[in-house]
Amino acid sequence: MSDGPLIVQSDKTLLLEVEHERADECRKAIAPFAELERAPEHVHTYRVTPLALWNARAAGHDAEQVVDALIEFSRYPVPHALLVDIAETMSRYGRLRLEKSEDHGLTLTSTDKAVLEEVLRARKIQPMLGERLGEDSVVVHPSERGNIKQALLKLGWPAEDLAGYVDGEYHEITLTEDDWTLRSYQREAADAFWHGGSGVVVLPCGAGKTIVGAAAMAHAQATTLILVTNTVSAHQWKQELLKRTSLTEDEIGEYTGTKKEIRPVTIATYQVMTTRRQGVYRHLELFDARDWGLVIYDEVHLLPAPIFRMTADLQARRRVGLTATLVREDGREGDVFSLIGPKRYDAPWKEMENQGWIAPADCVEVRVTLTDQERLAYAMAEAEDRYRFCATTPSKTRVTETLVRRHAGEQVLVIGQYIDQLDELAEHLDAPVIKGETRVKERERLYQAFREKEIQVLVVSKVANFSIDLPEASVAIQVSGTFGSRQEEAQRLGRVLRPKADGGGARFYSVVSRDTVDQDFAAHRQRFLAEQGYAYQIIDADDVLASE
Amino acid sequence: MTNTDFTEWLRGLADDRLRALVTTRPELITPVPAHLEGLVIRATSPSAAGRALDRLDRFALAVVETFLVLTEQDGAGLPYKDLRKAVARSVRSGEAGRLDGALREAVDHLRTMALLYGPDTALRLAPGVREVSEAPAGLGPPAIEAFRHHPPERLQELIRAVHRGKDGQGEVAAERLAGLLAEGGVVGRLLDDVGPQARAALDELAWGPPAGRLPNARREVSVATAQSPIEQLLARGLLAATGEDSVVLPREVGLALRGGRIHRDLRPEAPALDGAGREQGLADRTAAGQAFSFVRMAEELCERWSVDPPGTLRAGGLSVRDMKKTVQLLDAPEWITALVVEVAHAAGLVASSAPADGEWLPTTAYDGWRVKATEDRWEALAAAWLAGDRVPGLAGERDDRDRLLNVLHPELRRPAAAEVRLRTLRVVASAGQGLAPSAGSVRERLAFEQPRRRGTYRDQLVDFTLREAEQLGFTGLGVMSVFGRELLPASSPEPAKPPRSPSSRSRAVAPATPAQLLAPLLPEPVDHVVLQADLTAVAPGPLTSELGRWLTLAADVESKGGATVYRFGEGSIRRALDAGSSADDLITMLEKHSTTPLPQPLRYLVTDVARRHGRIRVGTASAYVRCDDPSVLDEVMADKRAVALRLRRLAPTVVASRSTRAAVVDSLRAIGYSPVAESSDGDVLVTRSDARRTERPSSARPSLGPAGPDPDLVAAAIRAVRAGDEAHQARRKPVAAPDGQVPRSPSTSTVLALQEAIRQGARVWIGYLDSQGHATSRILEPARMEGGYLTAYDETRAAVHRFALHRITGVADVG
Repeated sequence: MSDGPLIVQSDKTLLLEVEHERADECRKAIAPFAELERAPEHVHTYRVTPLALWNARAAGHDAEQVVDALIEFSRYPVPHALLVDIAETMSRYGRLRLEKSEDHGLTLTSTDKAVLEEVLRARKIQPMLGERLGEDSVVVHPSERGNIKQALLKLGWPAEDLAGYVDGEYHEITLTEDDWTLRSYQREAADAFWHGGSGVVVLPCGAGKTIVGAAAMAHAQATTLILVTNTVSAHQWKQELLKRTSLTEDEIGEYTGTKKEIRPVTIATYQVMTTRRQGVYRHLELFDARDWGLVIYDEVHLLPAPIFRMTADLQARRRVGLTATLVREDGREGDVFSLIGPKRYDAPWKEMENQGWIAPADCVEVRVTLTDQERLAYAMAEAEDRYRFCATTPSKTRVTETLVRRHAGEQVLVIGQYIDQLDELAEHLDAPVIKGETRVKERERLYQAFREKEIQVLVVSKVANFSIDLPEASVAIQVSGTFGSRQEEAQRLGRVLRPKADGGGARFYSVVSRDTVDQDFAAHRQRFLAEQGYAYQIIDADDVLASE
Repeated sequence: MTNTDFTEWLRGLADDRLRALVTTRPELITPVPAHLEGLVIRATSPSAAGRALDRLDRFALAVVETFLVLTEQDGAGLPYKDLRKAVARSVRSGEAGRLDGALREAVDHLRTMALLYGPDTALRLAPGVREVSEAPAGLGPPAIEAFRHHPPERLQELIRAVHRGKDGQGEVAAERLAGLLAEGGVVGRLLDDVGPQARAALDELAWGPPAGRLPNARREVSVATAQSPIEQLLARGLLAATGEDSVVLPREVGLALRGGRIHRDLRPEAPALDGAGREQGLADRTAAGQAFSFVRMAEELCERWSVDPPGTLRAGGLSVRDMKKTVQLLDAPEWITALVVEVAHAAGLVASSAPADGEWLPTTAYDGWRVKATEDRWEALAAAWLAGDRVPGLAGERDDRDRLLNVLHPELRRPAAAEVRLRTLRVVASAGQGLAPSAGSVRERLAFEQPRRRGTYRDQLVDFTLREAEQLGFTGLGVMSVFGRELLPASSPEPAKPPRSPSSRSRAVAPATPAQLLAPLLPEPVDHVVLQADLTAVAPGPLTSELGRWLTLAADVESKGGATVYRFGEGSIRRALDAGSSADDLITMLEKHSTTPLPQPLRYLVTDVARRHGRIRVGTASAYVRCDDPSVLDEVMADKRAVALRLRRLAPTVVASRSTRAAVVDSLRAIGYSPVAESSDGDVLVTRSDARRTERPSSARPSLGPAGPDPDLVAAAIRAVRAGDEAHQARRKPVAAPDGQVPRSPSTSTVLALQEAIRQGARVWIGYLDSQGHATSRILEPARMEGGYLTAYDETRAAVHRFALHRITGVADVG
């Protein structure tokens, strides 16, 4: 019996014993083809999915390496059927290739005639194809390059896209590394993307994804279209680019609800791109406004469906996706794979944290016991109001105040879902609040003030979830959330994970009402955080209040 | 054609040769024939001859086919050297060196099987073989048969064509034509006459099958009028019409086309197996891993079916819906689930409680199986799979009448399954250490070993066997495991094996049983888990059964395999509390078996659920008694006459009763009052329902195992045949009986033998025709004989029976 650190389960999950002496070696061996699913303290769970295997194939790993890694590190014999299945799945990638031919333009080519026959017969594929060029090749309409990749993935025959990219309009962009340097993993991520052509870089919040984007632009040396989630984020991208690259104010345009600038580097929001008037996407021409050499997608896991459709037409341009997680709440991971590209770089949160790039976080769940009256009211509330009720109970307000007092002198963020509750909290805490109706100017002013420690407590609604940069927040208190969404959790945690100037740890509180649906949602959250490897502690609100 | 020579040859054989014969062809003594002539009749019957040929490998069959082609009648003898010459021509180049040994062996084997007989100088083919050999070696019928039904004028015309115009008057036309075609060089000359297209058509048929379809095959064509290439052939007798639209290549033409060879590329020896090489140790470990998980699946299945048994369909089997549930339960593909269910059934672990509308329940045997060590449990399952004639792989397919074959359906069987399975595994085992033979080469080897049994049907069984063997852990990574090899029964007893050799000898020298070989390869059971803050527990190996069962109760299984991942949740903790544990019990148990400190969230979960658990209590009451004045209820409770009502005080002002309202009212009135309750004893009920069992069905059909009949049986059968034969011989002699003596009745010897047995109290073996006329054989302890009947204790039926003497076909000592 070998004594490896890995246990291969019949459902294709891999259990890695972290304390094992060969654990690190094993982690490196399996990371290319298995997605880290859970990383609690002792045993990490990886999952071998077809997408993960194809990502590995795209990164140049073959089935033999995968099988060898499993056999070498596995403690128990690996079921033969599983190995066969892995080899079979991996062999599916690349049987079909999209290539550019001198005479015929875009072609779909296969070394395996039977596979080509199978996909040619699929009803969804047929309309995308043109003339048959002999036994192993067929013309593809150039406009269908994205769609056919999507459709082929669904059929289980992901195509390797070797058709290359247009260079785009040349534009000089260099990194200005005067008072800072590219971190090693940022360089690796940008290089990995560039060599792969197109694809997704997975980095935790706070790990400097913007800089990876800038490094990618420096590789491309071409006009760039950057798609971000919202206006604030667009501003921040602009600030970062001005700071980190040779680009000047005139070279960067913003394409948002208010401004419509098209410049060599243009930053557009998803929102403006998906705005429709009379059923027509009004701003589609932006994609053709210039001969873009690079398209950057920020927060790929939030990419809205219309952008996917638009992206399908952009397959000849280099694309890089930036995200903290490949997990999409809508399950469209396959579309990310086929339209943006395979995963090109991935670093687990915990490791980055160990290297000191992101701050370690302590997660604390504070359980509030409802008063008898509150419990009665909760029991009588309509089903749809229940969450709102228990998430916004006055008891929570008291505990939150106590927590804020406890962390006096630190930069504290209070995050919530319900505006009434936030207003009330803001009033009690005597702190400014940022919510949907807050003007962009005002938001930025408050952020800046928070950054400069002029204000120490900031109450924010979910608008702050995405792409804001609050470098000095060391405490986050979450009072209500959106029904335990995993992705939101990753975002919120990201708020406090940025490295602190003093290198101190971050603290993440969730205030939860005991014995209510709030606690059920908290259980999801807790599971997510524990799976991410964060120490998770539960304390009683009474203990918090008593410590006063 | 006469069987006399053959009969005499058989009679002249030594007993050990006869024993060898019936050992290789056990159907000849089931039931035991009355005498040697009976044995001959049976041996030469089409079914027995066919079965004998079925057992031949390709080379031995080729020898028989060569014989058939070279001799036209069975009586004709053929010297060994002529046979060798013909076979040598067919052997593929490069393998001639191995011919002599192989041919000698094949001829000896054929003699042992009584398919060939006679000395080397004049070998003869046993009667009956020719009749069951259609198109030997893919050759068509001899010309004489092919042209037999042609009209005389047509034959004359053909003879003229063959004979270049000369007239063939005066002879039987078909024989004349056949004779001409057989003449050396004639066919060659005719072939030179026809065009290349016609030649190509012939080449298509040359190596068989020799028949083809052709519209209007009986057309009248002559060399002069022939248009198409086919017509050129028909005109020259190179093709013979056998029907309105079918033609055949006459044997003489076929042989000429084959250049005198009867077979193409004949191999004297079995083809070698090829496949991937694996490290034997790794293969063994992999197989052990499979064996382990298979046993676990079987146990999981039985445990679930204990409490939630699926119903038996009216037609037998398991419904599609229940099957789906089982697939989910085992979290395995459908075919593996079907295999687990079928093997558990074959091993007698589950059975139907009633033939129709019953339920599939674990048997009492399951309880015995469950407590055994994993390796022994595996052996029981594997042996059942190996010997069964059921084919789990067919589940989900449709039968001839397009009915769905469900899992456990009675029709889900194939008579040949056990044999094919064993043969397949033997081939895999023969590949030697560390070689995983490819499916293709296994099929090829089997096709060599039993060429007459080939076909998609067998290939399907072979494929099933290979994939199922991997699942069960017979093989690991396609290589036969050490313990799987040990479980395969020794191959059929050697024909030359002396009788009465202790059949257990081979087992006695075996180094270890399969279970002993398997045991050290199985993962060690662990008695601890790793608890984590995400509320999971990981058991890094198989758990000891007690801990495993406890965890299954207190947590939900999330992932299975080498390890097990359990997840604690509100529901699972509640389930454990329902089953009678307290929060402290749970925490103590977890702390005891965890290698890591109990994570705080888990402790919170347990205490949280426990805090709410049982806060609200629910009971059953038939009536209640309510009174605003607690003191009145105090009185009622204190009253001895109310004891029969089994009253229970729920609150100061509430009492519950299990009696009906009327009874409570009546009783209270009788005492002088008026009426209420939680459950009977106020405790929370354990909701787990009791596991149920059914009886194991009486053992399945006794069948001849693939290992062949027991030597003792064979010896007894031969004695019976000999004895019967002597009696039979004697019966022929009455003509020469001395005058005045009463002729012995035909069964006199039988009667004498039985009388002797009664006197000595000995056991005898008899052949007996039952009331339906079926021949059977019994082992009896004769008690008395009277009125034409024998009364005896029938050991085969374990009861005393009366046997009509005239139906007893033969008697022999059992010894």
